[in-house]
Amino acid sequence: MHGMTENIMAVLLVVNLALMASSRLAGCIGLVALQGIAIGLLPLFAPGGFSARGFLLAAFVAVLKGIVFPRLLHNAIRGASVRREVEPFVGYGFSLIIGVALTILSFWLGTGLLPSSHGNERIVLAGAIATVFTGLFLIVSRRKALTQVLGYLVMENGIAAFGLAVVSEIPLLIELGILLDAFVAIFVMAIIIYHISREFDHIDADQLSTLKG
Amino acid sequence: MSIEKICGYLLALVAAPLLLGVINRTKAFFAGRRGQPLFQAYHDIFKLLRKGAVYSTTVTAVFRAGPPASLAAVLLALLFVPFGPVPAVFSFQGDFLLVAYLLGVMRFCTVNAAMDTGSSFEGMGASREVQFAALAEPALLLGMAVIVRTTGNLSLSGALQSFASCLTTGSAPVTILLLAAWMIVFLAENSRIPFDDPNTHLELTMIHEVMVLDHGGPDFALIQWGAALKMWVLGALVVNLLVPSVAGGEIAGAGIFLGGMLALAAAAGTVESTMARFRLLRVPQLLVAAGSFSILALILVLR
Amino acid sequence: MQFIDNAIWLLAAFPLLCGMVSLLLPSPRLVLSAAAAGVLASAALDTLAVARVFARGAMASNGDWFRVDALSAFHLAVMIIVFAMSSIYAVSYFRNEPEDMQLNLASARRFSALWHGALAAMTLVLISNNIAIMWVGVEATTLLTAFLICLHISTVSLEATWKYLIVCSVGVAFAFMGVLLLAASAGANAAGASVMQWTHLQGIASGLDPRLARLSFIFLLVGYGTKAGLAPMHSWLPDAHSQAPAPVSAVFSGFMLNMALYCIMRHMPIVAQTAGNQHWAGNLLIFFGLASILIAAVFIISQHDLKRLLAYCSVEHIGIIALGLGLGGAGIFAALFHTLNHSLCKTLGFFSAGRIGQACHSHDMRQIRGAMRIDPLWGGGLFGSLLALIGVAPFAIFMSEFMLLKAAADSHRYIVIVVFLLGAGIVFVGVLRQAIEMAWGEKPQGAHGIKSSLAERIIVLATLALLILAGIWMPDFFRNALKAAAAVAGGGMP
Repeated sequence: MHGMTENIMAVLLVVNLALMASSRLAGCIGLVALQGIAIGLLPLFAPGGFSARGFLLAAFVAVLKGIVFPRLLHNAIRGASVRREVEPFVGYGFSLIIGVALTILSFWLGTGLLPSSHGNERIVLAGAIATVFTGLFLIVSRRKALTQVLGYLVMENGIAAFGLAVVSEIPLLIELGILLDAFVAIFVMAIIIYHISREFDHIDADQLSTLKG
Repeated sequence: MSIEKICGYLLALVAAPLLLGVINRTKAFFAGRRGQPLFQAYHDIFKLLRKGAVYSTTVTAVFRAGPPASLAAVLLALLFVPFGPVPAVFSFQGDFLLVAYLLGVMRFCTVNAAMDTGSSFEGMGASREVQFAALAEPALLLGMAVIVRTTGNLSLSGALQSFASCLTTGSAPVTILLLAAWMIVFLAENSRIPFDDPNTHLELTMIHEVMVLDHGGPDFALIQWGAALKMWVLGALVVNLLVPSVAGGEIAGAGIFLGGMLALAAAAGTVESTMARFRLLRVPQLLVAAGSFSILALILVLR
Repeated sequence: MQFIDNAIWLLAAFPLLCGMVSLLLPSPRLVLSAAAAGVLASAALDTLAVARVFARGAMASNGDWFRVDALSAFHLAVMIIVFAMSSIYAVSYFRNEPEDMQLNLASARRFSALWHGALAAMTLVLISNNIAIMWVGVEATTLLTAFLICLHISTVSLEATWKYLIVCSVGVAFAFMGVLLLAASAGANAAGASVMQWTHLQGIASGLDPRLARLSFIFLLVGYGTKAGLAPMHSWLPDAHSQAPAPVSAVFSGFMLNMALYCIMRHMPIVAQTAGNQHWAGNLLIFFGLASILIAAVFIISQHDLKRLLAYCSVEHIGIIALGLGLGGAGIFAALFHTLNHSLCKTLGFFSAGRIGQACHSHDMRQIRGAMRIDPLWGGGLFGSLLALIGVAPFAIFMSEFMLLKAAADSHRYIVIVVFLLGAGIVFVGVLRQAIEMAWGEKPQGAHGIKSSLAERIIVLATLALLILAGIWMPDFFRNALKAAAAVAGGGMP
């Protein structure tokens, strides 16, 4: 299923670029959900992935990242009544160019890291590194707390893909533990955003700067 | 220099204004009107050729030379573009760069003529046009790099024609990305919505229309025909990506290609009817997005 | 007895059970008291495990998912001391909060649930033999303790919580990349699912790909170092510690930072045994340790808030422990000794800061005066803990720092000694000045006395006594325990 993996990774890379350029928060949540589902489907197309365990895990991930997480995040911003990311630290056009540059960098890194593996794993590795970079960039360059949470989710997606590329088999229990951690993390972050919007009347993480020194 | 290549070239010359007709008819269909006749563009060109031209006292020879020079550039560029399975009249290694730069020369002549009038409206349109073209150029050229790399054929004609057969089963993402990038370039370079509204009468929102505001008579006829030919050239790039090689030889393939061009025009008309024009601030972002699609396709092909 | 060995998982599950029981109680005071009782019961269970390990060697469960060896047992011992003291202290701390900050039933239940959850997660980290489960536990502690910081919701506490959550989550995500890279470095030796078992990795350590192992250690150090408070990843620490209630701060500084360092201690011997990397990991740790000491020293001088001051002290001491780990050999012994001392000291410090702050209605050091007069017990506790923290003899911290310097001198690393003394000197001057001003002087207006329960008196006096005792005399059983733990961190299998 060499082709399917390539298609999924291409979707991943395009979603990364779309996240860099998009300012509508609802759109960004949808994009991250799409990315999560795509990464959930990725193990199915690895050699030997078509098994009951694989399907179960893929279905679980699809439900979690495609339905539960967006629901939690939409609830969080509904109370805050924010629609758009306004005035990020780095403008959208420039973010897009940086995103392309990071993608090129991650392809270069990916080929250098695992030289002995064949082409399939290398594109997954490169896509994973690009996704992690995108997540980090979103956390650092955006103002709204919600976009920082989305950046964290994108990082988690990237690390999941990274795990797929470098480790041959992760036990089911550990996979479930990691997913549980991700779920609790988003749950906690959504609640904190709700509280922040109530206390501060905005969710600009940039303005949370009283504690200094 | 076989007979079918020349036939293909002549057919392209003649069929180009038809694209405009199809676009307008599609827009009328969406609006519930009957719309202009399909061959209205031909009537317009002939009507304009019979008229006389009035030139302002502030213009120089540059203004008068603009329309013929731009038409000559695009006529030259068309020589290197294949008509479906029929190869182009001329081809040599690296001619895709020549085509891109000939389109640039065409733009240069138009912009020069516009600036020569000394009017601020034309100058404004010229500056916008040049900015958008600068951003669209990477998308076009990198896309050409992708097809050259995939097929290994350095000539535009050869590369386009063998692209469809060179694709492996896993290269759908590359084609889709390339298609998206070149579609955006097609719309941008031909001043269609969402980049420029060809029907707008407000000078502050025009880009292409305002550059040719002062031309009249035969000059305007040459410009209209030149714009149609440019649309044909860029459209041929897009359609040749998709058209597979068919059994039945060149006539059938040429027919499919022609149908594809008309379908592309209809698609452009659909986009025009269903979308509104973007704010001028968003246009560069969309063009950068097109550029990034091309780069992404190139990365996927290069690794 | 194999049966007991297979029940190691109970150590992590038991606190959860106690937490659920405490949720059923009807009043905030009862909930807090039940929380304390639950933690004490878990502590008793853990003490049994610790004693067994030190007496008979490591305990491993069937299937090798859980394992308690000397290093885990040592950290378990530190954890139960810190948690038990903090739970008892929390009962009277929350009782004495001003009227508008009193806990209602919902917040008390939330506190108890998260408290037990954090205890369970930290135990999971210590008892697991699988590096991925260790990671899951660390991430779980981040998430569970986040709400403990903003127990009283206000603008500043939310800001601190948000910074803590984002910085630590991103850091721990990096650590996971390190875990994956370490598993990947096993390459052809990967035996399927057991590649993530720590014992398996220890066994094949010399066969790991050195380049990938080095890369993984960088990620692990940066990732777990964020959670531990190593500079320059420490930005969340002062905010979180100053905004959280005192018992929570005590647990953070007293144990949670050490738990993150424990994870680094687990990975260090594996990386150090790969080809050509014997001193590389140690040098990296020394670098981060010295950076933490210096950065903390610079920031301590300009602090006004007592709890932020204690937080930066934590950064400095974590740096000292990392430095000891990096030095290796006798340095690891000193670092582990320092772990215990620092935990005791910092816990007492936060306890005193909490009570004195309640009495003076502020944590601003410019407004706390005459602590000894407000209450001799807590004032003495504050002054004593600050003195101990800056390394005054004969407190135990002086002893452990001295051992560390001796280890550095023995391996001829004189620059380390110079930088360390520079940082420690700056901290000494900065903190002592504040400590003297806080301990003596006129009581501020409106400061009221402090009622302490018997348990609290015992806690303060016993801790001070223990700190002095440990500085003078190290009993044999303790020395052997430390040696066993240091051996694990240094690369032996216990």
